Amino acid sequence: MVVYNLYIFNRNGQCLFYREWLRRRQIKMTQEEEFKLMNGFIYSVKSFVQRLTPTDLKDGFVSFKTNCYKLHYYETPTGLKFILNTDNNVDNIRHILHQLYSTIFVNYIVKNPRYSALDIINNDQEIFIEKLDEFISNLSIFSQTNKI
Amino acid sequence: MSRTNVKQNIDTRRVTQELFTLTYGAFVAQILNDYEHVDEVNKQLDKIGYNIGVRLIDDFLARNPTVGRCHDFRETADVLAKQGFKTYLGITPSITNWSPAGDEFSLLLDGNPLTEFVELPDGPGQKLSYNQMICGAIRGALEMVQLEVDCRFVQDQLKGDNTTELRVKFLKKLEDALPVGED
Amino acid sequence: MVVHSFYVINRSGGLIFSYEHSIPKIELEKTFSYPLDFIFKRAQKGVVVEFGQRDGIKVGHTILSINGIPTRGNNIDFSAPSSINNDDDQQISSPTSHDIIEYLSDSANFPVTIKFGRPRLNGNEKLILASIFHSMYAIACQLSPELNSTGIRELETDQFKLYCFQSITGIKFVALTDIRQVNVDALLKRSYELYSDYALKNPFYSIDQPIWCPLFQETVKQAIDSLEKTGSPYT
Repeated sequence: MVVYNLYIFNRNGQCLFYREWLRRRQIKMTQEEEFKLMNGFIYSVKSFVQRLTPTDLKDGFVSFKTNCYKLHYYETPTGLKFILNTDNNVDNIRHILHQLYSTIFVNYIVKNPRYSALDIINNDQEIFIEKLDEFISNLSIFSQTNKI
Repeated sequence: MSRTNVKQNIDTRRVTQELFTLTYGAFVAQILNDYEHVDEVNKQLDKIGYNIGVRLIDDFLARNPTVGRCHDFRETADVLAKQGFKTYLGITPSITNWSPAGDEFSLLLDGNPLTEFVELPDGPGQKLSYNQMICGAIRGALEMVQLEVDCRFVQDQLKGDNTTELRVKFLKKLEDALPVGED
Repeated sequence: MVVHSFYVINRSGGLIFSYEHSIPKIELEKTFSYPLDFIFKRAQKGVVVEFGQRDGIKVGHTILSINGIPTRGNNIDFSAPSSINNDDDQQISSPTSHDIIEYLSDSANFPVTIKFGRPRLNGNEKLILASIFHSMYAIACQLSPELNSTGIRELETDQFKLYCFQSITGIKFVALTDIRQVNVDALLKRSYELYSDYALKNPFYSIDQPIWCPLFQETVKQAIDSLEKTGSPYT
């Protein structure tokens, strides 16, 4: 199994953080445009799901898959959005995204006095990036093929 | 409801070959009567074939889930001859006369069930392209999977040739018609 | 295991077939005295509970009727004949109609019996959602980190799953099911066969146009019934 990339958006739709562990396809647009597209896309998926649902939703949109990848979505009540792409053999990993939020994001960003949870995470947030990489690469879904 | 029940008792995918051949024959004869020019008849047959092709392709793909999108013309030729013709006409034409560029090939139709009892009438009827419907059907079917082709008979046993040869030429890929969400 | 509904979308994103198999009916009627502890908001389809969930009435539920009289968007008219269908979001306001939120904040109108529920999608909304899905399908492919991705094949929420199969000719077959339903892919393949039989082989059906063939609907229904009972769409 493979982990591709992670997007974190704040509640204003701004991309706070992006990191990729594997990406075979490069998109034909700038990164900024890609973030905008992803944010708008997730917004439409959420509203689509809310309008279509035959019963009352609790968490709402969880994931979708195509023939080769799966997009997992987790949103905190504060409006932070975590989007993790993996290959499509991965099961529901909502708890992992929650853990990523509670142990990595909260500990190394929110609790960092130098930092506000609404700011874009720069590369000088070394501890956060280091802990995140460690967290992701210790997941059972992160396999050897990831490193090729 | 009652119609569905009746349907379960008959094999909907089979009809005697003779009934089919006679139906097609009666039909071609009728439009030959209705139109003044043979060219116009050929055009109508092609059009009818086209309308069949654009529908038949989905039937074919629905029943052959392993067939995917073709990535070269040789693959197209193979699927067309070995699966398409086999399913709908019960014959497997041989694929020959590839152009050097690989964008044009011939299908040799052996034992075409459409023409089993047919002799073309004298006079202008000799110019009739009796099987033209097949060309239209191929053109229509391939157009639905985004391949534009030209399709015509270059030899016809009904006209005294040794064999019946159908020429298929690749024109272009219809990129605009590619369904969205396909990379 | 339940299949809620089934749709066919053509190459340009138009909804050409829609069939509702089993959509749970969510409706609750209760009598209230003044004041109400719900906070309402006006929405396109009518007055919606925004805050103050209680007694099974949830945030997001719409007011469907008051004292047995169906609402019309954000208004209610007690003197109009109740038979008028309010299917298409008509916001009719006549001299005898009341604004619902104002009506419910006047203590003189209590006690009042209100029916809450989740309104069904109307034809227009289904068309819109189909075309939204059509573009979502394409964007999912565009945002793929991996080469040669298709669009969305399976979308999961905590309450339902959406499955989509797109034929090489570009027709989408979509099924909405509960989260436990299995073998939906087989149902979609089967519906492609049924489409090629009962729609395409019907000489009076025009390609890309809405499918009005009763036999198609009947056989799709059979396939869904069979899937729910035996786990296979084939009988």
